[in-house]
Amino acid sequence: MSFITDKQTLDDLNILGRFNRDSIFNLYNNVKTRGGERLLENMFARPLTDLAAINKRSEIFRYFQEKQFKFFQDTKNFQQAETYLSNPLNDSYTKRLSNIALLKFKQVLLHDEQYAILETGIKATLITFAQCKDLALQFEKESDGSWGYQFAQAFELLNHFPLLERDKADQDKPLTIAELARYDFWFRCKFKIAIAKLLSVIHDLDVWISVSDISRKKGFNYAHACPTSDHIISIEGLRHPALPAAVPNNMLLDGRTNFTFLTGANMAGKSTLMKAFGIAVYLAHMGFPVAVEKMEFSVKDGIYTSINVADNLDQGLSHFYAEVLRIKKVAEEVSAGKKLVVIFDELFKGTNVKDAYDATLAVTLAFAKYKGCFFLVSTHITEVGDALMTAVGHVQYAYLPTSLENGSLRYSYKLKEGISTDRQGMLIIRNEGILELLAKDQVNSN
Amino acid sequence: MLFTTDTQTIEDLNIFGRQATDQTVFGIFNQCLTKGGSAILEQMFRNPLSNHSAINNRSGTIRYFASNGMAFPFRPDLFPQIEQYLAITDERTRLVEKNQPLVVKTKQWVAPETETVLLQQGVRSVVQLLQSVFNFISSAPVLKAGFYAEERTAIAYLLSIPDFADALAAPAKLSSAMVSGLDSVFRFRNRSNLRDLLKYCYQLDVYTATAKVAVQHGFAFADAVINGDALIDLDGFYHPTLVQAVPNTIRIDHEHNIVFLTGANMAGKSTLMKALSLAVYLAHMGFPLAAKSMKFTVMNGIYTTINLPDNLSIGASHFYTEVLRLKKIAGELANGARLFIVFDELFRGTNVKDAFEATIAVTGAFANRRNSLFIISTHIMEAGEVLQKGYDNIRFTYLPTGLDGNKPIYTYSLKNGISSDRHGMVIVRNEGILQMLEEGAWEI
Repeated sequence: MSFITDKQTLDDLNILGRFNRDSIFNLYNNVKTRGGERLLENMFARPLTDLAAINKRSEIFRYFQEKQFKFFQDTKNFQQAETYLSNPLNDSYTKRLSNIALLKFKQVLLHDEQYAILETGIKATLITFAQCKDLALQFEKESDGSWGYQFAQAFELLNHFPLLERDKADQDKPLTIAELARYDFWFRCKFKIAIAKLLSVIHDLDVWISVSDISRKKGFNYAHACPTSDHIISIEGLRHPALPAAVPNNMLLDGRTNFTFLTGANMAGKSTLMKAFGIAVYLAHMGFPVAVEKMEFSVKDGIYTSINVADNLDQGLSHFYAEVLRIKKVAEEVSAGKKLVVIFDELFKGTNVKDAYDATLAVTLAFAKYKGCFFLVSTHITEVGDALMTAVGHVQYAYLPTSLENGSLRYSYKLKEGISTDRQGMLIIRNEGILELLAKDQVNSN
Repeated sequence: MLFTTDTQTIEDLNIFGRQATDQTVFGIFNQCLTKGGSAILEQMFRNPLSNHSAINNRSGTIRYFASNGMAFPFRPDLFPQIEQYLAITDERTRLVEKNQPLVVKTKQWVAPETETVLLQQGVRSVVQLLQSVFNFISSAPVLKAGFYAEERTAIAYLLSIPDFADALAAPAKLSSAMVSGLDSVFRFRNRSNLRDLLKYCYQLDVYTATAKVAVQHGFAFADAVINGDALIDLDGFYHPTLVQAVPNTIRIDHEHNIVFLTGANMAGKSTLMKALSLAVYLAHMGFPLAAKSMKFTVMNGIYTTINLPDNLSIGASHFYTEVLRLKKIAGELANGARLFIVFDELFRGTNVKDAFEATIAVTGAFANRRNSLFIISTHIMEAGEVLQKGYDNIRFTYLPTGLDGNKPIYTYSLKNGISSDRHGMVIVRNEGILQMLEEGAWEI
């Protein structure tokens, strides 16, 4: 079963998007090979729901982050080699030899380019294999059974090519037709399956190394996946990965409190925190490094967020109705027994207080009893929190505080327990002396 | 005392627009045929009047021209020629008819200098304008135009200057000696008189163009009431740039100097406030407006806060921007100004509780200033309920929303009271969300 999510969620969290500079994908994308990029895209498009697979992947990343292996410095040769190797053949050696002889003949008489192209491809492949040997050297010291040892095994194949010894010294010497034919036969016919495997190992390495490099540079850590029955998401030092100076926060959702009720003034950082949480959950299910100090989570079936729901005036849908439809969709999944992480930001903001209060309370209460799901819900209607407190016990209350300094608001972005009572509004109005100003010349005007 | 307003208001009402493509209020009215007319029109839009007789004079004039179907009586192409002609102030260009050498005369005749041609053409244009202005002010409808009398007298005075007698009596075809003679009269002796005359012509262009717009759109004229308590009485007003606007009627006066407007999103609150503010604005210009009829006392200024942008670059949130604006307006009120003030979705940039309290406090403070008129809209209808108990001079109105299935329908027709449209829960229930969750598999 694949991890459940939808476009709205991916947009809210800004996860995908190769051509979107600020996407989370591009934050992690520093791969050098096209195959590596394809792999990375696949990983982003399909988070895992299998506990063992998640932990295996994060273990590999962690291992690579620790070992600091180096990928090819120069990937130009690899790209040329990959292009050349992408056309495997079923020919015999004699057929290759006669073919190449014919190409040489064409080159001399007709200025045909194919021979030169073939030569470039084979030379690039030879250089790449030499580089692979260097790459493999990094793993040889690794102990038996480690991930590195397994990669070293994958490069065993390279020892099948005795003539590789020539490369360093005679790199510039042109290859004879016979040499070309032999290499071509080996690379594209005899060992084609093994070589395809080798290429995919290199793509894997590209992803492992580039992502773990980023993780090391940005100070990311790896989440530990627990069985679904453990029923926990525990995060220490949660940050938004795209904000280098973000204030870290702790979050804990578990069987006792599966619902976090988040309040705080505008601009106090509610949305950013919710996005950071959503991104952490998503990346953790990919087995990727996450912008946290420490994270443990039980594997979920999917994630739904509702952070920037747009109204759809073309269809005559108000913002409110668009939001209702979104909640309905989540309700369908949740009531079908899916174990989800659900994030709702500023529910029902586009309507009057009474409605927003009633609707938020009713929806929150209805969702809250789904203990198999985790909820993070923000609202500016703090009274809903008061009503919730008396109604249910498994909700925790958190807020982002605001303080007032010299008439301007200061935000700490540090999560606190409780319901926000920050009411800077009236304070500011009083500070500015507006009411006095309006009352002052009452005497004069009458 | 000048009528005060600010750029925020002018932008809110979309008077000049930000982009050329915008359907602006200025664009609706600008049907002037001359550049000078457009310039005067723009000045009128930038500086509404604060004197009731000036307002009534202008609106009376436009109204009279509208009822007579009077079009601009002069050839519009004369004006650029005359402007160009009067702009040449160099003494050496004076046309002369003295003993010039034959060579020069022949040259003039065979291949005349462009400047000379321009000057001669200018003289002819001035003559033609003077004669048509004379005909215009002597025509029967203009003689009867009471509100225009003052300007007519001023024009007649200009035309009575002895220097112009020759020009007014000149035949259709001018001799070259006459052209040279008049050039001195026009360009060097009476330049400023001619400029004054042009100004009256441009003003006339504005009047006739505006009259035409009024007739085309079926706009009405407002009556500025001479004295007494603040009043705005608007019947059947609508927004002029909307195609099928629903007209509404409202009265804001000393007894009820605050209109408290509620209604769901998209019910038309902002449009209604813009239409009303625009009517007040145009009324203070003495211009026709999109309404059936209007009566008002002249105010000292108008301030609207409809599309207030936040100013994050100076670290001010939307809320704080609003507060600063409020402070500025409170300052003017404290100085005793009689203002027309509009706040759309007051305190929308803060949490509900703050907005609720602040709305009550500020509206209450406004309510005591009976000489100024206010419109305040909010979606916090609960604030209205509190205000209803404390103040008897607040008029509560709302724009209703109906439900057609799950789609809201809007009537855009103003009603008295506080909106009780609470479709939120209805929609949530209709979608069966709560039931779905109730019946779902919620046991672990």
